[in-house]
Amino acid sequence: MSKARIATVWLDGCSGCHMSLLDIDEGILAIAAKADLVYGPLVDAQEFPANVDVTLVEGAVSSQDDLKLINKVRKNTRVLVSLGDCAVTANVPAMRNGIPPKALLARIYTKPPTDGVPALLKNALPVHEVVKVDLHVPGCPPKPEAIGFVLGELLEGRKPDLAGKVKFG
Amino acid sequence: MPRTITIDHVTRIEGHAKITIQLNDDGKVADTKFHVTQVRGFEKFVEGRPYYEMPSITARICGICPISHLIASVKACDAIMAVQIPEPARLLRELLHCAQFVQSHALSFFYLSAPDMLLGMDSDPALRNVLGLAASHPELVKDGIALRKFGQQAIERLAGERIHPSWTVPGGVNKPLSKENRDFILSEVPIAKSVIRRTLKFFKGALDNYKEEIETFGNAPSLYAGLVDYDGHLNFYDGRLLFKDADGQPIASVTRPIDYQKYMAEADLTSSYLKAPYYKPIGYPEGIYRVGPLARLNVIDSCGTPEADAELAEYRQRFGPIAESSYLFHYARLIEALFGVERMEQLLENPDILAPHVRATAGVNALEGVGIAEAPRGTLIHHYKVDEKGAIVWANLIIATGHNNLAINRSIKQVAEHFVDGNQMKEGMLNRVSAVVRAYDPCLSCSTHAIGVPALQIELRSAQGELLHRVDQD
Amino acid sequence: MQPTLTIDGKTVVIEGERNLLELIRKANIDLPTFCYHSELSVYGACRLCIVQIEGRGIQGACSTPPEPGLKVQTTTPEIREIRRIAVELLFSERNHVCSVCVSNNHCELQTLAAKLGITNIRYPYSYPKLKADLSHRRYVMDQNRCILCSRCVRTCAEVEGAHVWDIAGRGVQSRLIAELCQPWGTSRNCTDCGKCVQSCPTGALAEKGYAVEEMTKRSEPITRLAAHRGASL
Repeated sequence: MSKARIATVWLDGCSGCHMSLLDIDEGILAIAAKADLVYGPLVDAQEFPANVDVTLVEGAVSSQDDLKLINKVRKNTRVLVSLGDCAVTANVPAMRNGIPPKALLARIYTKPPTDGVPALLKNALPVHEVVKVDLHVPGCPPKPEAIGFVLGELLEGRKPDLAGKVKFG
Repeated sequence: MPRTITIDHVTRIEGHAKITIQLNDDGKVADTKFHVTQVRGFEKFVEGRPYYEMPSITARICGICPISHLIASVKACDAIMAVQIPEPARLLRELLHCAQFVQSHALSFFYLSAPDMLLGMDSDPALRNVLGLAASHPELVKDGIALRKFGQQAIERLAGERIHPSWTVPGGVNKPLSKENRDFILSEVPIAKSVIRRTLKFFKGALDNYKEEIETFGNAPSLYAGLVDYDGHLNFYDGRLLFKDADGQPIASVTRPIDYQKYMAEADLTSSYLKAPYYKPIGYPEGIYRVGPLARLNVIDSCGTPEADAELAEYRQRFGPIAESSYLFHYARLIEALFGVERMEQLLENPDILAPHVRATAGVNALEGVGIAEAPRGTLIHHYKVDEKGAIVWANLIIATGHNNLAINRSIKQVAEHFVDGNQMKEGMLNRVSAVVRAYDPCLSCSTHAIGVPALQIELRSAQGELLHRVDQD
Repeated sequence: MQPTLTIDGKTVVIEGERNLLELIRKANIDLPTFCYHSELSVYGACRLCIVQIEGRGIQGACSTPPEPGLKVQTTTPEIREIRRIAVELLFSERNHVCSVCVSNNHCELQTLAAKLGITNIRYPYSYPKLKADLSHRRYVMDQNRCILCSRCVRTCAEVEGAHVWDIAGRGVQSRLIAELCQPWGTSRNCTDCGKCVQSCPTGALAEKGYAVEEMTKRSEPITRLAAHRGASL
């Protein structure tokens, strides 16, 4: 019986949701026993692979690179989970919306970089405004118990019932 | 024929980065570039927010080190309020900050870099991660989990949440520490200490395996910067910002936080969202300086806690009073983690840590405030300007990892030149290039921010890329 | 014979209640509300207390007087969905960044969303460019967090009697304004009493210096005061 394939991705986020995932402490070893982590900041895969069962997506879609990656993730994932408020509502990254990217960059740089860096999208967007999302797990960050619960349920083939376990903020 | 190899993306770091390696006709490395591909825009979008919201807003810059941002932010807010916070609050903030150092350094060492150290730079990329390590080195990974858990649990007990707590506020903290929580954290200290002792023993024992890395991973002179308290000791919360040159001579000491601007300026790079800070009196790019564990151990006299000082003495005996190789960031990180745990113990044993009055209250009494603290990755500066009503009109965030940008760029070039051979490319060569970035434990989501008033630079380069003329305007 | 009506199949006696909502609450049935306040004039804007009345369709319980013989349903699948949509639209209309709000964990909008099982907003966010007014020496009004419930308007007008607040504009352009649409700090009638702050369900109105997650509100003293004075119009 082959192990499930899970992936994690961070877009325009702070990595706090990933840290909350790691806050399941020893629980990570139980997850590792049931699933292979095939892509993500914690592992060395360079390309998002095909046939991923579950991908946890942290962060808003804010740059051209984010856009490319999320589309690739959606194409190759069975269950796409928006993890955390940045992915679910765009949260703090969206506080830049309403400021034209040019003005934003002009505040920071005398001459904004152009070589090898992705352009900013007009707005930082929640993931579901870009691709279809199968499960939303709000929180900033969501509690480790909620994340552990979500992974546990999905790995057993069940849709997690998040009532009482999550909230915005 | 010249070609470019791209590492898209650098893995096992915080944030988003790519590296491009330009090869010349012989297949040897001609040049390298470090592209940080993320920019957040915090300094712009906080304009108009009440200053006392800044701590929790800026905490969202980073989920690994939110405490560091909270600390630097509340210190800037304290300055705007012109308050001196109650001493118990200062102890509590320092305690919280030390806990964060322990968990963050544990993450860096065990979760991000240990796979390279233990499985090897050339090992199978599919297994070269903390979960692969758990299969072959279960006890080490369990240690890493336990050490990170110690730090995170301490943060939870102090501040109510592990990530993005709202306990640290302008004027102090918003709740005193209970005896029960104090006793709990203290009871976990021995476990944390034993993990670090074991890990230091392993790392020191394995130093011979890392000889080539120590030789080539960013092994070059630079200036160093970090906070030093008034006893010359390591202090993550407060102190004077000390700059030392490559020989260990003090060259600048910043005691008024706002004076950081006299010594730090930055240059825009064309190929990275991360700008390049440099030591202003020397100029760009010769004024390259490093921050973070390696730099801190270089600028302090001593740690100020017994075991960490014993380790520091041994470290200096092996590598000299000024350690230069960026690979030694890993060793320095372990010593800092040990100091962090010892310092937590000292603070927890201070009876004032349970005092009830932990917050000063005031309105806006100054229109500008600067807060400087050490984050796990280096010196962190929050600089705010407000109007009389308390709305932020301007903010400047000088982020730890940013200071290391020039050094990271240079280190990548050094490693690539030594290891990368375009005629017989191996994955392990590229992993080594990424690994030198990991040594700095960069926090890239944090780092892409505005720094001061940028210096204007105009460069004239020949067709071969040679710099012919440069104009700097401040 | 006492006058009665039925709520969710249960017979309830009408004893001088002013509206269906009071009867529903007397029957210990929980209905969410934002704009309704027992001691203030009825506004009927938030559409959360909607109920199904046989023969009449969906109506607001706060603004429907009790009539003997009515058959009222407080929850149907259609009503549940409308309530959900109403809350989601509130989130989409302005910039509710719960994580960094002074009312995080103490906010009626946030709490209701969690209670209704809302885990994401299905409507595109508007991202309007809105500001916070910090001109008052003690309080802040943040347009980003306002849900136009008008509790502040009615509390200030009917309980304090100062009538500092009003709502100007129409539809999504509606905005809470102070006096003649001026910075709150320049208001001539504001008595600094803070009742509006305490009556606000979100972090739109807050006291300066209360950092993120610190702004807890106490509305019971105002309710008692208003009831005592008979403020309701």
